[in-house]
Amino acid sequence: MTAEAPEALGHTRRAGTDGRSASSRAEADSRPAGAGGPLLVVDQLVKHFPITRGLLRRTVGHVRAVDGVSFTIGRGETVGLVGESGCGKSTVARMVLRLIAPTSGSIRFDGTELTGLSARAMKPHRRRMQIVFQDPFSSLNPRMRIVESVGEPLVTHGIATGAAKRRRVCELMELVGLSASDVDRYPHQFSGGQAQRIGIARALATNPDLIVCDEAVSSLDVSVQAQVLNLLKRLQQELGLSYLFIAHDLNVVRYLSDRVYVMYLGRIVEVGPSETLMAQPQHPYTEALIGSIAAAGTSGIRRRRIVARGEVPSPSRPPSGCHFHPRCPKVFDPCRTQSPPLYRLPDGQLSACHLRAEIAEGQDG
Amino acid sequence: MAEYALRRTGYGLLVVFSVIVLVFLGLHAVPGNAVRAQLADSPGITEEEIAKRTAALGLDQPIGTQLLHFLGGIFRGDLGRSFVDNRSVASEIGERLPITLQLGLMAVIISVILGFAMGMLAAVRQNSLMDHSLRVVSVSGLSIPNFWLALLMVTYLAIYAGWSPPLVYEGPTQNLGNNLAQTILPAIALGVAGMAGTARLLRSSLLEVMQSNFIRTVRARGASRATVLFKHATRSSILPVFTVLGLQVGAILGGTVILESIFSIPGLGLLVFRAVQVRDYPVVMGCVIVYAAVFVLVNLIVDLTYGLIDPRVRYR
Amino acid sequence: MVTTTTTTAATTAPARTATWRRSRWWEFVRTQRLATVALVIIVLFVVAAIFAPLLAPYGATEQIRTAIRHAPDGRYWFGTDDLGRDIYSRVLYGARTSILISVTTVVVSGAIGTAIGVLSGYFGGRWLDSLLQRIMDAIIAVPGLVLLLFLAAVLGPSIRNTIIALIILIVPAFSRVARGEMLRVREEPYVEAARANGCGTVRILVRHGLPNLFAPLIVVTSLLFAGVLIAESALSFLGIGTPPPTASWGRMLSEGTRFLEIAPWMVVFPGGALTLAVLAFNILGDGLRDFLDPRSRR
Repeated sequence: MTAEAPEALGHTRRAGTDGRSASSRAEADSRPAGAGGPLLVVDQLVKHFPITRGLLRRTVGHVRAVDGVSFTIGRGETVGLVGESGCGKSTVARMVLRLIAPTSGSIRFDGTELTGLSARAMKPHRRRMQIVFQDPFSSLNPRMRIVESVGEPLVTHGIATGAAKRRRVCELMELVGLSASDVDRYPHQFSGGQAQRIGIARALATNPDLIVCDEAVSSLDVSVQAQVLNLLKRLQQELGLSYLFIAHDLNVVRYLSDRVYVMYLGRIVEVGPSETLMAQPQHPYTEALIGSIAAAGTSGIRRRRIVARGEVPSPSRPPSGCHFHPRCPKVFDPCRTQSPPLYRLPDGQLSACHLRAEIAEGQDG
Repeated sequence: MAEYALRRTGYGLLVVFSVIVLVFLGLHAVPGNAVRAQLADSPGITEEEIAKRTAALGLDQPIGTQLLHFLGGIFRGDLGRSFVDNRSVASEIGERLPITLQLGLMAVIISVILGFAMGMLAAVRQNSLMDHSLRVVSVSGLSIPNFWLALLMVTYLAIYAGWSPPLVYEGPTQNLGNNLAQTILPAIALGVAGMAGTARLLRSSLLEVMQSNFIRTVRARGASRATVLFKHATRSSILPVFTVLGLQVGAILGGTVILESIFSIPGLGLLVFRAVQVRDYPVVMGCVIVYAAVFVLVNLIVDLTYGLIDPRVRYR
Repeated sequence: MVTTTTTTAATTAPARTATWRRSRWWEFVRTQRLATVALVIIVLFVVAAIFAPLLAPYGATEQIRTAIRHAPDGRYWFGTDDLGRDIYSRVLYGARTSILISVTTVVVSGAIGTAIGVLSGYFGGRWLDSLLQRIMDAIIAVPGLVLLLFLAAVLGPSIRNTIIALIILIVPAFSRVARGEMLRVREEPYVEAARANGCGTVRILVRHGLPNLFAPLIVVTSLLFAGVLIAESALSFLGIGTPPPTASWGRMLSEGTRFLEIAPWMVVFPGGALTLAVLAFNILGDGLRDFLDPRSRR
């Protein structure tokens, strides 16, 4: 972890001056125009799942899991995506990695449009985008040794096999704070926190630019969560990674993220820098989320608890107008009929709430 | 429930239809010509004769037409005519089906009643000598070929009791005593495997349920083990038995072929066996379709009963 | 520092694999006593089948005119039949027929059935899966022996056709098991992770899918051996399977049917051998199932 650590297979670690690794900067220099732009641009992503019924499997409706989501992730940036279960954030993650095909919308990774690519054309891009799943024990094949699981991306992309692969896996294990002598063990022999580190090691194997963390710490004990989050932060600084950090816990998201997108029932309802969002939420749903976090007192966020009434409606029959209106304590007339766009607010935040319409400087999609 | 019933029935009909199509295709897969194969052993048959018969049976027409004719016939209840004696296949089957069904029913009753009794006994007296011996009997019962068991029973009775089953078949309405004497041995032979399977399944299912929380509550209230077993545990433990019941009936139906042949019982099994020996294809085809239809029907009834008992199944 | 750690790790790995394999065997023997006994019995049958010519005191078709229907004694351990043939020898040769036919059947139908099941379960688009399953369901719908008779009528009686008929009978069982596992594996998170890593379908099937198939297929194979043995004997009993004068247990049983009272040994011993073999396979299958999935305690 210091400057004396050996270079292996194009992987260089720097206490980053500009947060990017040497290899990704080298790649950047050889890229055509658009290279300086954001790493990931997602525009109006939509995913509707058909509901079938009956003997003939007629389509009777759609589950609108994702209903027009747009965001960007810059290089070396962490973007948090937060929302309750069922709001569609995991679906977004899977669409970004093309594990599910979007119903419509565009995903541009480093200038290249990913939707519509064939599986073969997609493969080289998969090297640069990786994912860490929520449950390491089910996302690691329980019958495969760590060296095989973590080494699998190396073999698939032709980076290393055999002894070279083993060396690289050992390196990765040390990088995430585990012992290289454990590479021959099986996942069940590790604790939750350790297993998740292994999952992270696997995600790092191909030297990616972007890692999607899909509820990566949600199934860990609180104390272990902190360790893993710190690991992620450190890795970002050393390797110049970008993260799409998905979670339902605002506290966790805020720790790691530069900017946060709040999602509700398939739509983005608020966007802003993480600290500003926490201090001055611009949407009733965000307020409710913040209010539900046990106020530890130290963060200084003390306000009257804004409670959302009722339960999250089914994504197959979302409410009209603003999706949140049946539960919103501040609901007024336009909310029921008009779906609010993302209003651009003076300090750069975005909010999809009609209450902010007067102070808005414009609209975003 | 109605939708579930409709779905299962539709599915059953689909399976019977598939069987009919496959049987039909099988007939046309006979190397050479079906008529030729059937007549191969008869002396002095000329090419003319073969051609005439082929035309008479409509076998020279395109496959599509033949299939349609066949299906149409089945719809009207006409399964064709025997190659050998030109009798209507449907009426021959109709005569013999009840006999086989009687045999099958007796076997099922034996297998269910004895199987339940054994399974419960073994569960109540878990790990006792009775339990272990019943388990040994179970696994043996599953492994003994039904025809060997039948032969052993006949041998034993002949040697040590001087008794053998009557040779001429009489229906239950004609002479019940004789009928039972004839059918009891094959029914036992057919039922043993099902009995063993049911006993094992019921035993393990009961034992599992007995560990469950809700049984422990009942026991805590002071009920004896036997009461608990019979009144409470039985309801939920029965379910797994249902899942294999359909398959067991299938095995029993298959066994009727060989058992009827051993005991000279003029049922469907004997009919299909004799028909295969002389290559009487229409009869063979008809029997296969009827056997499959009975199997599908029994499974359908089991499925629907299961659906009545366990509502979760209806929403799959 | 990294290099030294990797070398020690590299050298310990192979040793661990070997001892792990061996210890699994010992564990099986230790915990599944009955199944191990069954396995030994099966091995004995196979040995008898392979070395029948060496172990049998008489030929399979050798007729000793002076020893018609002798009860079992010092010379003819299982007695003789109505043509003066030594039943013990014929049982040994019958083992050969049975083992040969059942091994061929199970291996071929295992391959075909697994392929169909994997195709259906993993790749099953709606129509492919439905079509294959319809065919499998139709085969299952016809009760065993009836199906075999039908196929015998269509194909004609011979050893080769018996095997083909048995294969058709058994394939749906394999297909069902393989399909079930594949449907489950397809949804597993680690498969999704592998796809996210860019793994191709072939690799996923081989590295992640097949290892899951191993356990259930082994169990079902043992149980199906039992079924095939009985089915083949039933066919021979009816005179439609293995043609004479090849020694086959089923045929020996049918020959003995006429002499039940005067020479019961003609029926007792071949049937006993058959039952013992079937019993052994059933017990082995049970033991394997319990061992490979400790949750299903019997």
